[in-house]
Amino acid sequence: MMAESEQVSEDIIIEAREVRYSYEEGGQPSLDGVSLKIERGKKVAFMGANGSGKSTFFLCCNGIYRPDSGTVLVAGQPIDYSRKGLMAVRRSVGLVFQDPDNQLFSASVYQEISFGPMNLGIPEDEVRREIERVMDYLEITPFRERPAHALSGGQKKQVTIADVLVMHPDVIILDEPASALDAKHTKLMNQIVDKLAKEGITILMATHDIDYALEWADEIVLMHEGKVLLQADPVTVCESREALAMTNQEEPAVLKLFRRLVERGVLEEGLRPPVSFGQLERYIAEGR
Amino acid sequence: MIAVDKLCYRSKLRYVNAGEKFTYSMLTLLFCIVSRSFVLSGAVLMVNTTLTVGKGGIPLRRYISLMAVPSAFLILSTLAIIVNISKIPLDGYALPVGTFFITGSKASVLFGLRLIVTALAAVSCLYFLSLNTTMTDIMSVLGGLRCPKIVLELMLLIYRYIFVLMETASAMLVSQKARLGNKDLKTSLRSFGRMGSGLLIRAFQRSGTLYDAMESRCYDGRIRVLEEQHPAKPSEIALIISYELVLLAYTVWRGVA
Repeated sequence: MMAESEQVSEDIIIEAREVRYSYEEGGQPSLDGVSLKIERGKKVAFMGANGSGKSTFFLCCNGIYRPDSGTVLVAGQPIDYSRKGLMAVRRSVGLVFQDPDNQLFSASVYQEISFGPMNLGIPEDEVRREIERVMDYLEITPFRERPAHALSGGQKKQVTIADVLVMHPDVIILDEPASALDAKHTKLMNQIVDKLAKEGITILMATHDIDYALEWADEIVLMHEGKVLLQADPVTVCESREALAMTNQEEPAVLKLFRRLVERGVLEEGLRPPVSFGQLERYIAEGR
Repeated sequence: MIAVDKLCYRSKLRYVNAGEKFTYSMLTLLFCIVSRSFVLSGAVLMVNTTLTVGKGGIPLRRYISLMAVPSAFLILSTLAIIVNISKIPLDGYALPVGTFFITGSKASVLFGLRLIVTALAAVSCLYFLSLNTTMTDIMSVLGGLRCPKIVLELMLLIYRYIFVLMETASAMLVSQKARLGNKDLKTSLRSFGRMGSGLLIRAFQRSGTLYDAMESRCYDGRIRVLEEQHPAKPSEIALIISYELVLLAYTVWRGVA
């Protein structure tokens, strides 16, 4: 019995218990009792209207904000807000900010990436090796010599991810990584995220792109007015149209089409809802 | 400033060790100022132009236009030394204008010209450094020279955020123009003031989020970063030393003579 409960708690990398947080004392709470559990290695999409508390929650996950009440647990341990405890949490939970200009503080890409590991007190030779590895892995090498102000939006984003990845985090939190990126760079960003997920890094991503969330995520957390409205697998979330409407989300296009096709009798009933157009196409091609 | 910043990232001498470039330009600058000699300054000016334009690959036209910035200032200020208005003609030159002469003594003409050449040579030393060395590299040299850490950290942040600030300002300017924010002097003055206050507020917000982002990466009040390494080449060091020794020898010889 004892062993089993330990087993379960080990699988949960981030847990929030009744987390409340408001920016001003006595003001409107940004987080109004958030409780959720994130399993290790999962790809989790955070969705919700602007101001629903996604970013605030993320900042609670690595101890930047300390909840007014409630607890955040990382790898089963409540966050220890001492200097040393925060160092450990922040190494383990990496945060990639929405606007790269808020994260990149140095004009030099190399300096920028070296910041995290140097703060962790890693020896210089090792930091240099790690920087080379990360630059190679995220394909930053071609523009590593360029100053930050001469990088494109997509390139800046790649550097912000490298900043965090170089610290070997267990969790990477991405706050709307595709915002302000063109289609090509969005695709590149998605490829990078998939690459990270394959390495077993838990990924939390805020996004407004429900079509992408449906296809990509293992789980969707739907937030509404500082609370978790729904946390479930993507199909379940995407089919609860009421919850979507509450959070200013549209139903994914593929599910809409699928529903219409079933209603018109093109597809038989009882099929598992498709998560991508590829899957829907297969259903049609197979003539089901 | 932006032009210089763009050029230095493209310079072919960019990856030469920054310490070498720094030492070269500072020592040469020192000899120019100490010797105040025509010959030495002329030579330095030529060598620096060759290095920056020939070796560094900075377009000659850009280089000349950059040099023209201080020259205009220099010529105006030396004019006061070279040109006098007097009733008695001096020994250098004299142009009669009515009952007066526009005139100057030989000594003052020579002094003025020497001042121009020396100052241009000195400026060329600084341009050599700033056109071939990135700001980041200059900061790392200053770090090596035990410049206070707080100053360096401020330089690092300012250098990065000056560009963000300018981007924001130009975006604001465009949006003001799009709404006739500068249709006359009064409106444009008011718009300018609003832009200033807008920028200040944005800067405060940004510094808040920047602090959070740095905290997220375990910031503890000290910015510790590493730079790319470009080791110094012994052949280049030897060349710099011998060049500076020649300048030193000339300066000393002139001082004695």
